[in-house]
Amino acid sequence: MTAVTPPVTRSHGREAARALAAELSKLVSLPATWLTLGGTLAANPILAIAFTNAARHGPTGPRSAPDVGLTSIAYVQAGFVVLGVLAACSEYEGGQIRTTLTAMPRRSLQFAAKHLAVAIVALPAAAITAASGVVLAAGALGGTAAPTTAGHVVRTLSGAAAYLALWTLIGVAVGALVRQTLPAVVAVLGYLFIAGPLLRAQASAARYLPDSAGSAMWSSVDGGAVAPARGALLVSAWTIGLIAVALLGYRRRDN
Amino acid sequence: MTVITIDDLVKRRGSREILSGISFQARPGRVTGFLGPNGAGKSSTLRILLGLDRATSGTALIGSVPFARLPDPLATVGAMLDGSGAHRARTGRAHLRWVARSAGLPRRRVDEVLEVVGLTNAASKRIGGYSLGMGRRLALATALLGDPEILILDEPVNGLDPDGIRWIRTFLRERAASGRTVLLSSHLMGELAETVDDVVIIKEGRVVADGTLEEVTGSHGTLEDAFFALTTGGAP
Repeated sequence: MTAVTPPVTRSHGREAARALAAELSKLVSLPATWLTLGGTLAANPILAIAFTNAARHGPTGPRSAPDVGLTSIAYVQAGFVVLGVLAACSEYEGGQIRTTLTAMPRRSLQFAAKHLAVAIVALPAAAITAASGVVLAAGALGGTAAPTTAGHVVRTLSGAAAYLALWTLIGVAVGALVRQTLPAVVAVLGYLFIAGPLLRAQASAARYLPDSAGSAMWSSVDGGAVAPARGALLVSAWTIGLIAVALLGYRRRDN
Repeated sequence: MTVITIDDLVKRRGSREILSGISFQARPGRVTGFLGPNGAGKSSTLRILLGLDRATSGTALIGSVPFARLPDPLATVGAMLDGSGAHRARTGRAHLRWVARSAGLPRRRVDEVLEVVGLTNAASKRIGGYSLGMGRRLALATALLGDPEILILDEPVNGLDPDGIRWIRTFLRERAASGRTVLLSSHLMGELAETVDDVVIIKEGRVVADGTLEEVTGSHGTLEDAFFALTTGGAP
């Protein structure tokens, strides 16, 4: 290959920065982004309070605030997945993909910029979601909560935020592969809420799948799951793998 | 370099051959009309030229490089394909803004192109509420953002009202007069005879005529007569 000279490197950096700015601009100017995020952020406290009440009156012994407050993550991840799918599938509305690819013809760069933009929007929302659940649970449980350590709180909170952000990116990749919002949403949510739980009940190898492995990042109630760090690695690998497959399709297909 | 060079383009989809060796050039300072009946392969050719579709074989170059390798695509080529090319939930201004960001263009360019195509008053409205003609104007505004050397327009008069058609004719003539390259496709001959300098006519994925307007019109009297003689295969 040709030698990379400084000016070439610089213009590549500028091109990447512009692609990221364009993808962020697309994301924040899409009303569906805010509807999805707003709905998810509003639903989470309601679910968290419901789970906390259930935990207070449940048959099990005292549980810690992170354990109870993060129970809702398994449900509100649906909102994050939908956000990812929408970011990808909105390209195929009104022929926007042709505008995108004539403005940013380097497909790998544009594809990477889209994923990064979604991660930049999703990660703070994920952190707020995780923290709000734990704070609400801690407040509601009060003195009845099982003791926990600061280290455990930090680990489960950051684990939950990272888990949600990774699943948002899985949503982008699946959306880019399927190209149509409804089938893509049905595919991912069908896996998360139907196929995943069924597989878990059937085969022990299912714990390496991105939902089970991922729940180890924030949940300490799942007995027999993988270790948290290993879970994080596994979900990251699944995410990168799915993005890579989606990119292969994206580079080859006609638009 | 702002010559468009299409060389022996072949495109197959499954067992169907859509393009069977298309070759022609579009030169600076001229409006080139790329004409043919619906389904002749005009849009496929333009999509390959813009790097949206992959050719089975052959090349399509902007100057000396394929579109996808242009250092600054938006400032080199403005493209207007079918529809608005924009998501219906955004406003016209928001759409132009993200496109402008992709090329590092200043925000004022957005207002300038809105003014040029006459969409300033509709800029804050959702694109979903635009008429067909307004959507086409937005697509043209998008193409003009980078003040490109080359305009590639697929059926630009489709969906425009008579005023809009008249306006775009004048506009494209001015672009060519200032030394830029304009390539437009159309299946409407009558609308184009006064606008184009060079004509390429295709039928079923093959070029059946290529030359200046006078050369192609030849003894047929009008471009429309020449077109039907060449594309229906019947006697003139």
